[in-house]
Amino acid sequence: MTTHSETGSVFASRKFSEFATIKESLIARRMDASFILAPLAMQLVASGVPIKIVYLGHRDGTTLMVAKDSPVTDFAGLRGKKIAIPNRFSNQNVLMHRMMKKWGMSFDSIKLVELPPPEHPTALASGSIDGYIVGEPFPAQAELDGIGRPLYFTKDMWPGFISCVLVVRQELIDEQRELVQELVDGIAKSGKWLDEALEHRMDAAEIVGKHFYFQDPELLKFVLSKPPDRVKYTSLAPLKKDFDEIMELAVEMGVLKERLEFEQYVDTSFVAPLETLDWGFESLPQPTAEAPAK
Amino acid sequence: MKLKVLIGALVWTLLVSVAHVHLNYGFDQVREIVREWLGYKRKTLEVGFIPVT
Repeated sequence: MTTHSETGSVFASRKFSEFATIKESLIARRMDASFILAPLAMQLVASGVPIKIVYLGHRDGTTLMVAKDSPVTDFAGLRGKKIAIPNRFSNQNVLMHRMMKKWGMSFDSIKLVELPPPEHPTALASGSIDGYIVGEPFPAQAELDGIGRPLYFTKDMWPGFISCVLVVRQELIDEQRELVQELVDGIAKSGKWLDEALEHRMDAAEIVGKHFYFQDPELLKFVLSKPPDRVKYTSLAPLKKDFDEIMELAVEMGVLKERLEFEQYVDTSFVAPLETLDWGFESLPQPTAEAPAK
Repeated sequence: MKLKVLIGALVWTLLVSVAHVHLNYGFDQVREIVREWLGYKRKTLEVGFIPVT
């Protein structure tokens, strides 16, 4: 682990526990870059905050959980139930409405309540909610604790699901474009390395769990391997068709008041074709013959 | 004889100093200090996140 990139730039991560504080930090320009919920990014742009989505954080990686002993076996069974979502401006909220449409249910047939992600497993355990939909590792935590079971993974409901996106302030793009490019390239390279071998994911879980997330590495290993396509770190370019669908649904649900054009909130100019990137993988640990990918 | 003692003292001081820098600071930090003296400043960017996918 190094403290700076290959070119010497320092990327420091700043951990938050809920999205409201991230939003305030971006608005007040106490921070120029962050991973936030996709519809929240759209909403910030709609309200005049000069930010752009430049890349995705991952694809899939969200799970719809119900209590372990719940009789619910499919989405229709959630009718009349209380389900927690991480935020009104989350794509999990959009997904629940997309599923309600698909299953021919009215938008008020499931009661959706906002809860900060870390509180989802405890709320399910206490019985105050019937289920929750949130990004990992909070679903896996309930699974490992024996209090919840996955009803659906996003890969089975909305393949290639987008949850968090990387946004940067326009001033940063204008003033330090090369730094944004370096960050995006770094995420692309990390993602390719992560999806290359399960052994890489296990190594990453150890480092991230201990030094960044401050979560049990075994929990993260579970998330990254059970099943391996529970979350993906490749195909992270922001695509117009994906965001147009989110925008349409968000407006239909009333989460966003106005429709924005893709170019108003996304800057695709940082997405380099993968074959043009200098991966520099030779400097990273390689899978060994003695310890093949599990 | 005096020259030998002088050279020996200088080599000893140098070795102890290098060991001190290595053990108490690390060469990476020394490199950073030198770079700052030379007027080079690292570009830094703070990136916010929530520990959730």
